Amino acid sequence: MGEKGYFGPYGGRYVPEVLGRAIEEIEEAFEAACTDRAFQDELALLQRDFIGRPTPLLYAENSSRLLGGADIYIKMEGLAHTGAHKINNALGQALLAKRMGKTRVIAETGAGQHGLATAAACAKLGLSCTIYMGAVDVDRQQPNVATMELFGAQVVPVYAGSQTLKDAINEAFRDWAASFADTFYIIGSALGPAPYPDMVRTFQSVIGKEVKEQLASRGLEPEALVACVGGGSNAIGFFSPYLEAEKPRLIGVEAGGRGTSLGDHAARMTGEGARTGIVHGYKSRFLLTEEGQVAPTHSISAGLDYPGIGPQLAALGRSGRLEFRRASDEEALEALTFFARHEGVVFALESAHAGAVAINLARSLPKGKVVVVNMSGRGDKDLFITAPYFRPAAWAAFLERELAALRAHPSGIAPPPSSGTGLENARGVAHSTTSKLISSPTSREVHHG
Amino acid sequence: MDKIRLMAHLVAGFPDASGCRAAAEGLIEGGASYLEIQIPFSDPSADGPVIQSACAAALANGYSVSQALDFLESLHRDFPQVPLFVMAYASLVVTPGVEQFVHMMAQRGVMGLIVPDLPFDRDEGLAEACAHQGLVSIPVAAPSMRSERLERMAHLGRAYLYAALRTGITGTTTTIGEGTLQFLKACAAGGSKVLGGFGIRSHTQARAVAPLVHAVVAGSVFVETIQEAVEAHRVSRSASFKGSIEVRDTAIRENIRQKAQEITRGE
Repeated sequence: MGEKGYFGPYGGRYVPEVLGRAIEEIEEAFEAACTDRAFQDELALLQRDFIGRPTPLLYAENSSRLLGGADIYIKMEGLAHTGAHKINNALGQALLAKRMGKTRVIAETGAGQHGLATAAACAKLGLSCTIYMGAVDVDRQQPNVATMELFGAQVVPVYAGSQTLKDAINEAFRDWAASFADTFYIIGSALGPAPYPDMVRTFQSVIGKEVKEQLASRGLEPEALVACVGGGSNAIGFFSPYLEAEKPRLIGVEAGGRGTSLGDHAARMTGEGARTGIVHGYKSRFLLTEEGQVAPTHSISAGLDYPGIGPQLAALGRSGRLEFRRASDEEALEALTFFARHEGVVFALESAHAGAVAINLARSLPKGKVVVVNMSGRGDKDLFITAPYFRPAAWAAFLERELAALRAHPSGIAPPPSSGTGLENARGVAHSTTSKLISSPTSREVHHG
Repeated sequence: MDKIRLMAHLVAGFPDASGCRAAAEGLIEGGASYLEIQIPFSDPSADGPVIQSACAAALANGYSVSQALDFLESLHRDFPQVPLFVMAYASLVVTPGVEQFVHMMAQRGVMGLIVPDLPFDRDEGLAEACAHQGLVSIPVAAPSMRSERLERMAHLGRAYLYAALRTGITGTTTTIGEGTLQFLKACAAGGSKVLGGFGIRSHTQARAVAPLVHAVVAGSVFVETIQEAVEAHRVSRSASFKGSIEVRDTAIRENIRQKAQEITRGE
C-alpha cells in the first residue's frame, strides 16, 4: 500500500501543526487498541447488544424475480441502532476516546446520521458530546437535531461559509485545535487526515465481514458488491474483506444529481470538475474549480453531496479494482420506490443510489449470479424529502395541521392523540421531562432513522 | 521603546478590491514592516471566524485568485520596499501545480509563502519550488508540537519561521506566558527569523511578544477594523450624508492606519 497513511497517491496528513499533536495521539491510541483484546471484546459486546449486530442479509426474492436476472441480496445496515451504518464507526471511535481518557467528543454532521450516531454512542458511554452542523442543515434536519438533543448532545449551528457540512468540518477542526487535551474528534467518513481513513474502515469492516460469512453460510459466491459513495465509509467497510482479491466486482455509486455540470452533481471520480486536490487534511479526488476552490455540489441525498471522497476509494478507483457508476436523483427515487413496493424495505436516499445500479446490474446478469447491495441506512429519515416528492398536497396539508397544533400547544404539552407526529412531537420530547412524552411511540421512529 | 516590527495580515478581496487596497495602504502608512496577504479559500480550516468570514465574503463577491495576483502585483509595484508574503491553503497551491503557483507568485514580486496545511515534511515540493524561484517557504510552528519535531522545523534553514503563539485558532485571546517564551526560543534556535502571531490585538500584547520575535503578526484585528469602517459607511449612506466607495475606502485606510500605529507604537 506504500507509505504509511497513503493509498497510492492519495491520503496523507495535510494539517496545520496546531492539529498535528492531536492526530499523533489518536494514531498511537488506535494502533494500541487494534491489538488490545479487552478493547476488542468490549467493542464486540456493544456491537451485539447496542448496535444490534449482525444485521440481516435479505434475499430480495420478489425484486430478483421481477428483474429476471441475477439474485439481489440486501445488507440491512439500516437495521443497526440509529438507523444506519454510521453507528459502527461512531461507537468504535467513542470507545477509543474513552480508552484515551477523553471526556468530551466533537463531531460534525451534514444530514445528521453521523451526528445522531455519535450522540447515541456518547450517551451510552457517558461522554460529553458537541455536534457541529451547518445552519442550513440544522434548519432542514430538525428531526435529527431534536433526537441528538434528546441524547444529550449540544448541537452547534455553523453560520460560516455555505453553512453546510464542509463548514461544520472546519468548525470542528477549530474547536479541536484548542481542545484536544480532553476532546476527541470523531470523523464520520473514511476520509480526513491519516489515520482516520484506516480507523473508519476498520470500524466499518464489520459490514463486509458479516456479508462474507452470511454468503458463505448459504453457499453463495457474490458476482458484485454495490454501495453508494459519499465520503465512502459504508462502501469501504462493505468492500474491505474483498479488496485484495480479484473478485467480486466492487461498484461504488456516486450522486449523479440533476445533471453533469459542476454544481449539479457530486461525482468526484467521474464528474466534471473532479480533480486531485488537498482539502480537509487529505489528498484525494475533489470537486474543485480550476483555481482550487471547493465547488458547490448537489444531490437529493444530503449524505452524498460532500465534495471529496475517501482516499482509499479514490486509489481503488484509480487502480481499477473499484468501478464507479453514477445514479441521478430520479434514478435513486425510482429505486427507492421499487424496493419499497416489492420488498417492503425503504432505502435511505443515499443507499437508493446503490439500489439503482444494482437493479440495472441484476438485469444484465444471468440467473444464478449474486449481487449484494448495501443498504447503508433506512429511508424513514428522508421522509421530509421523499414525502413532498411522492405526495406533495397531502404532505403539505399534514405539515400545516401539525404547525397549527404546535401553535396551539407551544409549551410542548402533549397534543391531542390525532396529531402526535412530526415537529410537534420532536419539540415536545426535547423540552419536556415527562416520561409520558419521552416514551411516546409515535413519530420518533419515523424521523430519526 | 523602539517601534514594534509588525507583519500585518490582510485577506485579499475583502471587503472588495478597492477596500482591500485602501487597507494595505493604511497598514503601510501605519508602520507595518511586512504584509501577509491571504488568498481567500472556500475552506480556511486553520483560521478563526473573523478571517473565515472575510474569505467567504470575498469569494461571495466573485473574487478570484487571478484578482489576488493583480492586487499583489500592484502592491509590489507601488510599495517595493515592503516585503510581501502570501498565505494560502494547499488546495489553491496544488490545483494549478506547485511549481506553477510559485511561479505566479514570483512574477508578482512575492517574497515568501505560508501554507499552513502543507506541513514542512509533506509540502508537495513547495520549499524546493520556492528555493528554485527565489522565494522563501515559511513553515508554521505550534506550541503543541513535539519538541523533536519543532527542533527539526527550526533547523530547516528557512529564512523565516511563523510561530502560532498558542494552540487554537486565530482571532481569540492569547496569553503570553513562560511557555510562550520557551516555545519562541525553540523556534528561533536554528537562526530563522521568527514571526509570532495569533490573537495579537493590542500594543500591550505586541510589546510583550516583540522582544522575542523578529516581527509580531496581527490579522483578525485589522479585518474587524475594516468591517467597522464598512458598517459605518453603510450607516452614513442611509442617512443624509451621501457616501461613496471613495469615502468608505478613505475611512478604511485611516482606521487601519490608526490601528497599525496603535499596535506598533501604542499611539
